[in-house]
Amino acid sequence: MIALPNECLFEIFINLSGNYKSLFSCLLVSRRWCRNVVPILWNELDISKNKNLLKTCLLLLNDEEQVKLIPFDLILSKNQNPLFLYTSYTTVIKINSDDGIINWINQEGHGSRYSTYYSCLNIVQSIKYSLTLMFLRTCKKLKDLSIYGKSINLLDLILVKNFSLTSLKCPNNELDSEEINVEIY
Amino acid sequence: MDNGTSNSASENETITLKSCDGIEFHIDARIANRYTLLNNWNGGESACIPNVNGKVLEKVLEWCEHHINDPQLNCGDDDSRRRNTIIEEWDENFLSCDQDMLFEIILAANYLEIKPLLDLGCKTVANMMKSKSPEEIRSAFNIDNDYTPEEEEQFRKENEWAEDY
Repeated sequence: MIALPNECLFEIFINLSGNYKSLFSCLLVSRRWCRNVVPILWNELDISKNKNLLKTCLLLLNDEEQVKLIPFDLILSKNQNPLFLYTSYTTVIKINSDDGIINWINQEGHGSRYSTYYSCLNIVQSIKYSLTLMFLRTCKKLKDLSIYGKSINLLDLILVKNFSLTSLKCPNNELDSEEINVEIY
Repeated sequence: MDNGTSNSASENETITLKSCDGIEFHIDARIANRYTLLNNWNGGESACIPNVNGKVLEKVLEWCEHHINDPQLNCGDDDSRRRNTIIEEWDENFLSCDQDMLFEIILAANYLEIKPLLDLGCKTVANMMKSKSPEEIRSAFNIDNDYTPEEEEQFRKENEWAEDY
C-alpha cells in the first residue's frame, strides 16, 4: 500500500465515527493506525452502556481517585497501565443510567459480597464519583458532561477544575429540589 | 492528454499546468479559481507540480472538470461535509480504479488542497473497511502487523467495549 500520511488516515477514519465495530478493527491493524483511530473511537462515551468500557475507565483511576472505593474493597486489576490515556481525547461523556455499573459490579462478583454491608447504590455512587474525578483530570477537551441519577455532589469541583466544559447536565440527582442543568459560556 | 478543456476552452480562459514528469494540461481557468493551489503552478513553461505525475494529475483534473459547476463548500462546515456518506454514481465509477491509483488520488487531493475530492477518496476507503476484521483489512491494504502479541492483546482488551457498543 502507498503510505498515506497521518492526516489522510485521520480523514479516512473520521468517516467511521459512530461505527464502533469498524473502528475497533482498524485500531488492531497496526500501531500507526491505532494512534489515528483512538482519538476518534474515544471521542464520545456513554459509560452506562457497556461494562467493558467502564472496566477500561477504571484502569485510568489514579490512587487519589480510588480513595472512595477503598471501603468497598473493589478489586481493580492494576497490574498493567493502560497503553493510552484514552480519555484525554474525550469531548462528550454520558453516565445516563446506573445499569452498566451495576452490571459490572455483579459480573465481578461484588454484588453478593457487599450487599449486606453497603447498598448497591452506595457503590454505584462512589464509582461515579471516582470516574468523574478521573474525567476532570484527564479529559482536557471535555465539552459535554451528563451524569444521571443520584451521585455525590461534584458541582463545585466540576466548575473549578474544568475549563473547557460548555454543557453540564445532572438530572434527577436528588441533591437539590431542582435539576441541575448548566450551560456554561 | 493535452486537451483538458476542449468543450469550454473557446469561451473561457485557460491555464497550463505541468505534472512532475513533464506532461502539460490546459485547463479551464475556473478550475484553478476554485482550487487556489492549482493557480500557483499556472504558466507551464518552467513551473511544474512536484509530487504529482501525469497519470494522477489527469485523473484529478478529470474530476475537477466534472464538478466545475458544483456549489462551493463552506470551509468551516466540517461536520456536514463528513456526515454525508452517500457517493454519487459518477464519483463511484470514477474511483473504482485500482487501489494504488485511489491512494495516489487521495495524496494528490491532499497535496493540492482539493477538499471535496480528498473527502470522496477517504470516504471510499472507509467504506472498504466496513464490517471487516483486522486481518481482512491488513490483507486488503497489504499492511504488516507490527504489534507484539502482548501489545495486541492488551489493545484488544482495553478497547473491546467497542465491539458490542
